[in-house]
Amino acid sequence: MTTTLFFLVLLLGLTGFALSWQKAGLIAGDNPSGLHSRPTYHGLYSFLCIVLSGWAILILLTIIGSAYINTTLLRDIRSALPDAPLIEHQLVLSDAKAIAQSRIASRTDELRQVIATDFGKFSTARFWITIVLTLGVALGVGYRCLTQITLDWRARNRSEKIIRLILVAMAAIAVLTTLGIILSLIFETFGFFQKIGWRLDKFLFGTNWSPLSGVHSGEMDPDRVGAIPLFAGTFLITLIAMLVAVPIGLFAAIYLSDFAGPKTRSVVKPMLEVLAGIPTVVYGFFAAITVAPFFRTTGEAFGIQIASESALAAGVVMGIMIIPFISSLSDDVINAVPQSLRDGSYGLGATKAETIRQVVLPAALPGIVSAVLLGVSRAVGETMIVVMAAGQGANLTANPLEAVTTVTVQIVMLITGDTEASTAAGPAFSLGFTLFCLTLLMNIIAQRIVRRYRELYD
Amino acid sequence: MNDMRIEKRAIQMDDVKFRASDVQVYYGNNHAIKDVNVEIRDKTVTAFIGPSGCGKSTFLRCLNRMNDTIDICRITGEILLDEEDIYHPKVDPVQLRAKVGMVFQKPNPFPKSIYDNVAYGPRIHGLAKNKAALDEIVEKSLRRGAIWDEVKDRLDEPGTSLSGGQQQRLCIARAIATSPEVLLMDEPCSALDPIATAQVEELIDELKQNYSVVIVTHSMQQAARVSQKTAFFHLGNLVEFGETGQIFTNPTDPRTESYITGRIG
Repeated sequence: MTTTLFFLVLLLGLTGFALSWQKAGLIAGDNPSGLHSRPTYHGLYSFLCIVLSGWAILILLTIIGSAYINTTLLRDIRSALPDAPLIEHQLVLSDAKAIAQSRIASRTDELRQVIATDFGKFSTARFWITIVLTLGVALGVGYRCLTQITLDWRARNRSEKIIRLILVAMAAIAVLTTLGIILSLIFETFGFFQKIGWRLDKFLFGTNWSPLSGVHSGEMDPDRVGAIPLFAGTFLITLIAMLVAVPIGLFAAIYLSDFAGPKTRSVVKPMLEVLAGIPTVVYGFFAAITVAPFFRTTGEAFGIQIASESALAAGVVMGIMIIPFISSLSDDVINAVPQSLRDGSYGLGATKAETIRQVVLPAALPGIVSAVLLGVSRAVGETMIVVMAAGQGANLTANPLEAVTTVTVQIVMLITGDTEASTAAGPAFSLGFTLFCLTLLMNIIAQRIVRRYRELYD
Repeated sequence: MNDMRIEKRAIQMDDVKFRASDVQVYYGNNHAIKDVNVEIRDKTVTAFIGPSGCGKSTFLRCLNRMNDTIDICRITGEILLDEEDIYHPKVDPVQLRAKVGMVFQKPNPFPKSIYDNVAYGPRIHGLAKNKAALDEIVEKSLRRGAIWDEVKDRLDEPGTSLSGGQQQRLCIARAIATSPEVLLMDEPCSALDPIATAQVEELIDELKQNYSVVIVTHSMQQAARVSQKTAFFHLGNLVEFGETGQIFTNPTDPRTESYITGRIG
C-alpha cells in the first residue's frame, strides 16, 4: 500500500510538472523573455513541492499509525493479562497480527482472536486515512503551485533553494552516519572499560589476551584483556607487508613513469592494477594454502622451523596486495612532477639516475609518503588475509616465523564466536576503537607531513 | 658600450663555437627544421628570432641534444662544437650538456634550498673537492647571476620561495655553476616583468665576456638590445643570419623585413 502511494505521489508530481510547464508557457505567450523563470523551473518547483510534501505526509502517517496501533493494542492486552511479562504481551500481539493477515500463529485463543479483529479494524482505518491525507495534501499543494504561477513568480530561485536543502540533507546523512558509528564505538568502549574497573593500563599495556575465558556474570578479568600481543602482531605483519610493498611498488612506479615506453606502460600499469581488484579473501587462501606451506618446506630445507601459520606468510601476501596502491599512486605523483624540472636537470648535464634521485623523487616525496601511509592504513585494517594465514593465539613475539594474531583477527573471533553478543561486543568494540584512533592519528600526521613539504607546481 | 669593447669583440668574432650544416629536424612526420646552416661565435650573444612555431627553440635544443629526451624527434645533418660533431656516437650527451648549459623559458628551480640548487651541477660533475671549494663556486655563480646580494642571508631557504625574476636569475646562476662554454637561453624573460627583464638582460651582457650566449626571444627589442648576431627563422627555415644592426636596419630578405616591421608573425 505504502509503495503504491509512493509511486502515485511521484506520478502526481510529474503531472504537476507538465501542467505548470504548460501554464507558464501559456502565460508568457509570444514573449517568453517576459517570464522571470523559464517554464522548466515552474515545472520543477511544482514537482518538488508535490513530491516532497506527499512523501513527508506518507512517511509520517506510516510511522505514527503503526506506533499508535501497537500502543493501543498492547494496552488492551495488558488489561486482559495483567500478570504476564512484557514478552508475553508482545507475543500475543504478533500472533494477533498473524491471524489478522491469515498467517500461521503460535496459538489461537480467544484473546488473540479479539485483538486480531481490532487490529484488522485499525488497519483498515489507517489504510483509508493514509490514502486520503496523502493524495489530498499532494493535490492541494499541486493546485496551489499551479495557481501561483505568474510572470514574476520566482520559481527558479525557490526550486534552487529546495535543491540546495536536499543537497545539505544528503551531506548531513553522510556526516551523521560517521558520527553515529564513532559514538557507538565510544559508548561500547566505555561500557567495556567499566566492566574491567577502568584498568586502562591493563588493557593498553597488558600482555595476556583471553578476554572471554572464565566470563560468567559479565564481569571481565582485567588481567586477561592485555591488548599488547594483538597490536604487536598487527605491527609486525604491517612492517613485513611494507617491507615487501614499498620497494617493489616504488621501483615499479619509477620504472613506469620514467623508463617504460608508452607501449609497455599501457600494458604493465593495468596489469598492476588488476592486483588491486583481487578480493582479499582470495589473497587470504592464497596465503594459507600456497605461500605458508611453501615457506614451511623451504624453511625445512634450510633447517629453519617455520610455523604453518606465520606472520611472514601473511605479511608477504599482504605486501603483494598493497603493491598496486603504492605503485599506482606514486606513479601518478612522479608523473605530476613537471617536465621542466627534469629538463632543468638534464640541461645541467645530469644523468637520468641523478635526475630521478635528486630532483624527481624529492619533488614527489610528499605524494609518495601519503601513498605509503595509505598502504599502512590498509595493512593495519586488513582482515581476511590474517584471519586465514596469521593464526589465532595471542602470542607476543617479534619472530616473523611464528604465528601471531592481529587486532582484526581477534575482533572477528569475538563477534563470530559462541559467546553471546553483549559480552563479546565489549572487547571487540574497544579494540576497534583503539585501532580507529591509531589510524586516525596516522592519517592526521600524514596530512601534516604532506601539507608541510608540498611544493606547488602549476 | 665603450670603444675598447667593440674592438675586443671584433677580434674574437673569428672564433666559431658552433658550426651547424644542413640540419634537419623531424617530429614524427613533421619536418620542423629545414636545411639550417649557421655559425655561432664565441664570446658573442646570438639571438634567434621568428614567429611562434618557426623552429627557433627546436634548433636551440639541438645544440645541447635536449631533443634526445623526446622519443619521436629525429635529427640529421651536422652540428660541430669546437669542430667536433656533437651527434657522433662517441659523444655522451651528459658531458655535452655540462659544457653547453641551458636556461629555460619558465624559471624551474629544483625543490631544494637556494644553495643546493646552485651546488647541484658542481656536485654531480665533481667540480669541488671540498665544502669550502663548493661554497666558493656557489658564491661566485650567485654573484655572476646578479642575485648574491638578495639571497646571501637565506641560502637555506627553498629556491621556490623566491620571486619569478629572482628564480630566473637563480636558474642562470645554476647554469653558470658548472662552468659551461656556451649558455643557451630559451625565452628567458618571457615570464618576467620589465624590471626583472632588465636585470637579466644586463646579466646577459656581462656573461658574453666569458661565454658564447645563444638566446631565443619573441621580443625584437630584446634581440636588438642584447645581441650582436641575429638569426631570423620562419617556418623551419633559417631565413637570414647576420649582424644584429644589419638585420634590423637593412634586412636583405623581404620576409625578415616583413617580420620586423610587423607585417607577418
